[in-house]
Amino acid sequence: MILVIAEQQGGTLNKATWETIAAAQQAGGPVTVAVLGAETAAAAAEVAAAEVAEVLRVESPALAPYTLDGFVTALAAVIATEQPGDVFLPHTYQTRDFAPALAVKAGRALVTDCVAARQADGRRLFVRPVFQGRLLADVACDGPALATFQIGAVRADTLVRGAAPAPVRTIAAAIDAGAIRQKPEAPFREAKHAVDLSQAERIVAVGRGIKEQEKVALAQQLAAAMGAELGASRPICDAGWLPMDRQIGSSGQTVAPKMYLALGISGAIQHLVGMKGARTIVAINKDPEAPIFEVADYGVVGDLFEIVPAIIKELQG
Amino acid sequence: MHPTETWIFRILVLGFAGAFAAQVWTRARLILRAPNNIVVADDETGRRLLRFISEVVFQSRTIAERPAVGFAHLGVYWGFSAFALYTGVEFLAGLGVADVTGSRWFHLYELALVPFAVAVIAGIAGLLVRRAIVRPAALGDHVSGESVLIGFFILTLMVTFLLGFRWETGLAARVNWWVHALVILGFLVLIPDSKHFHLVLSPLTVYLRSPGLATVPNLDFEREQVGLETLADVERKQVLDAFTCVECGRCQVNCPAHGTGKALNPKRLILENEEALLAGRFDAKLADVFDAKVLWQCTTCGACEAQCPVGVEHLPLIIGARRGLASNGEAPDALAAVYNHLERRGNIWGLGADLRQKFIQSAGVEIFDAVRHEYLVWLGCAGAFEADFQKSLRALFDILRATGVTFGVLAKERCTGDIAKRTGNEYQFQELARANLDDFAAAGVTKILTSCPHCLRTLDVDYRAFGFQAQVVHSAVLVADLTRTMAVPGAGPVTFHDPCYLGRYAGVTAEPRELLARFGATVREPDRHGANPFCCGAGGGLLFEEHEEGRRISQERFEQLQRTGAPTIVTSCPFCSIMLKGAQASANTQVEFVDLVSFVDARMKCAAPAATARP
Amino acid sequence: MKIAVCLKQVPSRDWQPRVNDDRTWVRDQDAAFELNEPDAYALEEGLRLKEKHGGEVVVCSVGPARVSQALREALARGADRAIHVEDDALASADAFAVAEALAAAMKDEAFDLVLTGLQSDDQGSAQTGVLLASLLGIASATIIMEVDVQGAGLRVKRELEGGWFQWVALPLPALLTIQSGINQLRYATLKGIMAAKKKEIRKVAPPAGLAFRQRIVSLYVPEKRKQTQMIGGSPAEAAKALVAALRDEARVIS
Repeated sequence: MILVIAEQQGGTLNKATWETIAAAQQAGGPVTVAVLGAETAAAAAEVAAAEVAEVLRVESPALAPYTLDGFVTALAAVIATEQPGDVFLPHTYQTRDFAPALAVKAGRALVTDCVAARQADGRRLFVRPVFQGRLLADVACDGPALATFQIGAVRADTLVRGAAPAPVRTIAAAIDAGAIRQKPEAPFREAKHAVDLSQAERIVAVGRGIKEQEKVALAQQLAAAMGAELGASRPICDAGWLPMDRQIGSSGQTVAPKMYLALGISGAIQHLVGMKGARTIVAINKDPEAPIFEVADYGVVGDLFEIVPAIIKELQG
Repeated sequence: MHPTETWIFRILVLGFAGAFAAQVWTRARLILRAPNNIVVADDETGRRLLRFISEVVFQSRTIAERPAVGFAHLGVYWGFSAFALYTGVEFLAGLGVADVTGSRWFHLYELALVPFAVAVIAGIAGLLVRRAIVRPAALGDHVSGESVLIGFFILTLMVTFLLGFRWETGLAARVNWWVHALVILGFLVLIPDSKHFHLVLSPLTVYLRSPGLATVPNLDFEREQVGLETLADVERKQVLDAFTCVECGRCQVNCPAHGTGKALNPKRLILENEEALLAGRFDAKLADVFDAKVLWQCTTCGACEAQCPVGVEHLPLIIGARRGLASNGEAPDALAAVYNHLERRGNIWGLGADLRQKFIQSAGVEIFDAVRHEYLVWLGCAGAFEADFQKSLRALFDILRATGVTFGVLAKERCTGDIAKRTGNEYQFQELARANLDDFAAAGVTKILTSCPHCLRTLDVDYRAFGFQAQVVHSAVLVADLTRTMAVPGAGPVTFHDPCYLGRYAGVTAEPRELLARFGATVREPDRHGANPFCCGAGGGLLFEEHEEGRRISQERFEQLQRTGAPTIVTSCPFCSIMLKGAQASANTQVEFVDLVSFVDARMKCAAPAATARP
Repeated sequence: MKIAVCLKQVPSRDWQPRVNDDRTWVRDQDAAFELNEPDAYALEEGLRLKEKHGGEVVVCSVGPARVSQALREALARGADRAIHVEDDALASADAFAVAEALAAAMKDEAFDLVLTGLQSDDQGSAQTGVLLASLLGIASATIIMEVDVQGAGLRVKRELEGGWFQWVALPLPALLTIQSGINQLRYATLKGIMAAKKKEIRKVAPPAGLAFRQRIVSLYVPEKRKQTQMIGGSPAEAAKALVAALRDEARVIS
């Protein structure tokens, strides 16, 4: 049986949970999903829609808010009682915090940031990227292990839904709240600048190719349609078309979003050093020789005033 | 002369000469206590003497930038020199030692001095008018009373000399003589504690000035040298410089930082040094004597040193002080990031070597093999990563292939260390240099070709201290030579921005113009060009300093180039190109930029399309 | 404060890794090595805390002889001394074995605070810090942006998803994994380099009976490599193809 640890925040399931359940389903065999928290009824009911053998509600007031000690104590007990094969978790900020400690307590190996799990020679191998993604490693473990899965590695829409809701069982987690060493305060939002592009997952950046201040609105529309933040190269900010805190480059912000879409940006080195860490770079520029195409994953040579509206239409259609 | 007069005169001379000597001695002590950094190699004597004759005897530097002023000063200076014997003879007579004032040769000599006296009067009068009435900015905000006084002293001396022909005997003659003698004594005692000390020191500082620009020798780590931290560390040549400075302001007026409203003023730097030395503030940190902020505003363009008529070397002081700061971890944050990039990746932007690899592959360049290749083409950081500059390198490769020159590039390069050297991170510079030199030796490199003037300077000058002997040449020079028989008319007007490190440092000003002319362009020059260009603002680590006080230097230069009216700006340095294009982008105007080598290649191709096509 | 900073020496980030013959690790004999960049931020944080609160910074690392170069770099930036668990095999071992080796070497030092980077540039497991904390029996918190020492404890700012943050109080001794980019890294100064030559690097042997609970059985190049895909066609066609690629291939939009 594969045990999946769901992640939820105040009753809302983290989307990555579906991906992890899908991964467990694809790995084969019965899947049990554990939901932790002080109040788990809603989240558990949601999870029960998946094709899984069982949903465990692990409840204790000491499990909200999240603390490392609380979660490790509760999950170690669950692992000890339920005796799962492998344990799958999503690779999130939260699991990065507690999973290794859980591995020590449960006496298991932990393989993190996996992009896949596969069978070979009668055992499960976890596939994970190494050396900045230049190589992939197949990892085998001694005995049942814990594995965290990279967000987006498994598609949530490959999840199999159950014909009927899965059975739900509640376990009262025995946690000594006094023994919890971490005392968290309430989470809050904050940005270093008024606009913190370094936190953005997607950025649409606009450069001199936009030609006029009025046309910046087009870039804004694209950003909105993509759920992206708006950034700019230096000349745009120098001209006052966008505020300085949107500037990306060696004097502005350095960003490493999942997606960086450069509109009418040539890719001069001062700008490049600010965004070269982006995972996927898209460049739209009418100059086929623009240096930005050297670092782009996807490039479109053409008139951005025609292409961008077409993209917006495609996204909305 | 009456015996009483003689005795009075003797006492006065003793007193004034004593005062003079005491002041000179104070300064001499400061000069002698300073660590000695003056090195005159045996084989340099000839060149130094020639320079001495040109600059001291013939005042070439004072005349070069300001001809009217220079000639006026030449008149005063030659006058002074001519009068030296006269003064000596008169004083000997006055002291009662020997009196040859009646001799025939002396009378002939006096007659010969008349035109000199006239020249001095004309010169000093002109200079006084300039100082007191015209009041150019270079001389500072307020008129120096002392300079005006000295000016009048000099006038008085010449007038009294001339009057001596009118009044040869009698009371008037005696009074005239005494006025002349007292003015000389007064002048004498004012010399050491003023800019007039250059009368004594400047022949020395001109002779002792390092042969090249910005001569900053390697630190010796074995002897735990870390750079200049306190005033006590300032070395002998810089102490001499402090006392020789004539406060003419040529350095100030030519400084791009000062000219764009920054606090840095090279003249002030030298005078602050002097003030601090005379005040005996030996324990004071240089960062306090000069204000550290000012030290980091220098682009190391060298205009200050190159203009100085008395041999002051500003850059060893500035870079020396930077070393003191950098060694203690006090380099600006922007530079700290660059140092970390250099340490990790061996290039100033911290980019991965795979980008360089991609360029080499796509340009079809071979890896250097000493057996088959004459030149190692040194790409530099910009050549490895800056796409626009890479276009000019592709053009260079095409020209080399078309003219049958064999070349290759190193499989891996690391930065020459230029920025580390100019910003005072001497340790990093030496690490990079040694590693590069090992690579050159291993590859059997004897000739290096580069398109980057900063790489040029570092390889061709700074690396020599390690015993490096290969030939290093800039592409402008080699391409000019390779294409010497080619000409393509009809390219239209352009303006050429001389890179500081090419035009001023390396003296390469003729070849770019020759190339432009031969390939059909008419060159329109901005005021500052050739061996005295106005910096683009990238040097000295300032490429990475985005928050400039005052106007941006790049902005100022871009506008200077725009004012020539030429629709195209030709550059010959990747950093000038980055800075000026940046200035254009922010100014939102339309000027074409082209690299010199790209220009030549394009002209060659348009004349004979097959000529430089890749095989 | 007695602060430990755990460092890893990794192959240079722009080195092209080639797999060795038995496909279990890379051929690193020809690699250039450097201090793991996330650990550099942890070191910087440790040095700043020492400057603020006094004490010493001890850098610790595990690996072959060449690791001492990385330790010297850390000493040149201001760390006081170093502990080097010297072992060739541990260079390619999993995080748990490394954490065990570190714990054995560090447990008698009774550090108040242990700092590590978020993850290493080679294996990138992001585990060693928390594993080490567990083995040392001390509290831990991860992805820390700010550290505030308050008497016998700490108040630290954790980074959460999507621009959220959270302050957490925990008692000392504790271990923190430090987020990259939270501070400006200092460079190795000439004086620091000179002083580093005289600082101690204590070599220790790894503990006996190290457990290797997981191993790489196969290392290989992934199918897709980073190549610029130029998307052509009319604006409408290009837009359609681009959106499809971003949605299904790169999976950066939903």
